[in-house]
Amino acid sequence: MATVQVSEAEKVYILHGVRDDLRVDGRGCDDYRHMEIETDVVSNTDGSAKVSLGHTDVLVGVKAEIGKPKPCVPDEGYLEFFVDCSANATPEFEGRGGDELGVELSNTLYKVFRNQCSLDLKNLCISPGEHCWVLYVDVLLLQCDGNLFDAISVAIKAALFNTKIPKVHLSENEEGGKEIELSDDPYDCMRLNVENVPCIVTLCKVGYRHVVDATLLEKACSVASLIISVTHKGMITCVRKVGGGSLDPESIFEMTETGKRVGKALHVPLMELLQKEESLGKKRPKVGFLG
Amino acid sequence: MPVDTKRVRGPEVSQSPSLFLCKTAAKKSLAQKDTRVDGRQRGQVDVRSVFVRCGLISQAKGSAYIEAGNTKLICCVYGPREMDRKDETDMKSGRLMTDMRFAPFSCRERGSWIQGNDEKDLSLMLLESLRPGVCLQKYPRSQIEVNVMVLENDGSVLAHAVTCASMALADAGIEMYDLVLGCSVRQESGTYLIDPTYLEENGCNLASGSGENLGSLTVAFLPSLNQISGLQSDGEMGEDILTGGVRTCIDGCFKLYPVVQQSLTKAVRRKAPPSES
Repeated sequence: MATVQVSEAEKVYILHGVRDDLRVDGRGCDDYRHMEIETDVVSNTDGSAKVSLGHTDVLVGVKAEIGKPKPCVPDEGYLEFFVDCSANATPEFEGRGGDELGVELSNTLYKVFRNQCSLDLKNLCISPGEHCWVLYVDVLLLQCDGNLFDAISVAIKAALFNTKIPKVHLSENEEGGKEIELSDDPYDCMRLNVENVPCIVTLCKVGYRHVVDATLLEKACSVASLIISVTHKGMITCVRKVGGGSLDPESIFEMTETGKRVGKALHVPLMELLQKEESLGKKRPKVGFLG
Repeated sequence: MPVDTKRVRGPEVSQSPSLFLCKTAAKKSLAQKDTRVDGRQRGQVDVRSVFVRCGLISQAKGSAYIEAGNTKLICCVYGPREMDRKDETDMKSGRLMTDMRFAPFSCRERGSWIQGNDEKDLSLMLLESLRPGVCLQKYPRSQIEVNVMVLENDGSVLAHAVTCASMALADAGIEMYDLVLGCSVRQESGTYLIDPTYLEENGCNLASGSGENLGSLTVAFLPSLNQISGLQSDGEMGEDILTGGVRTCIDGCFKLYPVVQQSLTKAVRRKAPPSES
């Protein structure tokens, strides 16, 4: 991840501030930065979303393709994640530099979604054992200012909400084989139920307290962070400790509680916002990339 | 996907026969019994008995072999060596590099020799678990390489890899704050299975259907300092179940501690020159 150099005096300043629940930009320990979400920004995809969290910019595109289901679960479709750290984000990502971070991010996303409840994969099945929908979720990092996991998970939830999968029906052709036909109407499509899609909350341990949505400066002062993905019901689907330091078990329990509280509180306004944006329909003002 | 041109693989459409096995009978028998297949109890801190031996590989600075049930892992440590790239900005401390690989015959389905994304992910988690335990500031401008090879995968591979790697580091004489021990637990609705086997890790989600609180958790722990250096979970769990699982793993690590310490002292005695008397 992009790093900044921090002097000892700055570290002490940040640590003392966090101890008193006051961060450098005036937020409390549990507050997020200003977040902007826009869906349906790329017309060639089946669903897309762009999220800006402070100076972090993430663009997610979802494309649905017909493929063969996995042999061990023949009646389910699946998702494939790929995260690309663009060289635009920081010079460290030039060439192969961003590959390691991209692999780490996509592996975490696979873990977050590896359970029965996040998405109803049986809906993605067309004919068991032969055809299913494969959703390719591609994440592009445009700008990197800390807290990538949170921005990516919100963008994925928004993009999946926005995804329109065309309805197909199977028919028999002359030789008895199955043929897939897409309906002619471009608006005849299936939507996904993203109620249970989890959101990731990253908590960084700074001094004796932990902060949500750390900037790069705060990240440089912390030794370890905990990534928690929480659904709207408060169930935890993935927990991971990242960073080179160690954590006390009591700190981990406190951070889990905070993460669950913050994560749960994130879902309701997010779904309301997405539904409001959808209801504006054609009349909504498009901001795009220049806003 | 990178293409492996050095080895001749079967035809692209070949599949393992285990996919066609009748799974329903096995699922039912797993779910109904109170005890687990190998005789251990559910809901109790009953880890598999472990065989560990250090100093197996003469070429490596330090090495360790661990066997827990049918899971077999071997780890080698090379270093401290001069760093490859001399333009590192942080010259004050050393670097730890970890690499975890599965032998192709280790799992039920044949794997590939090329490192897949899963292996990269496990190597990264191994690195994060070991780093807090090693005194890297005593080895400036050097790198220490840790290579773990899984010979047979019968469940909780990451947990045993952490234990094996920290023993190999101790055997190599690398200064450490404490041994890092790993333990994993599989949560099922209502009960937990500590140190799960491969079947318990993967087969159970099909057996219990759409039960709530289904997931796995792996913890890396430093016992004398009481610090958690690695934590990883997936599946879907409530917060209290997760907290209980972490406490269970910590208990499991405490159970493993004396065994690991004993085998390290034996290895040191073997290496020491014979006494005069």
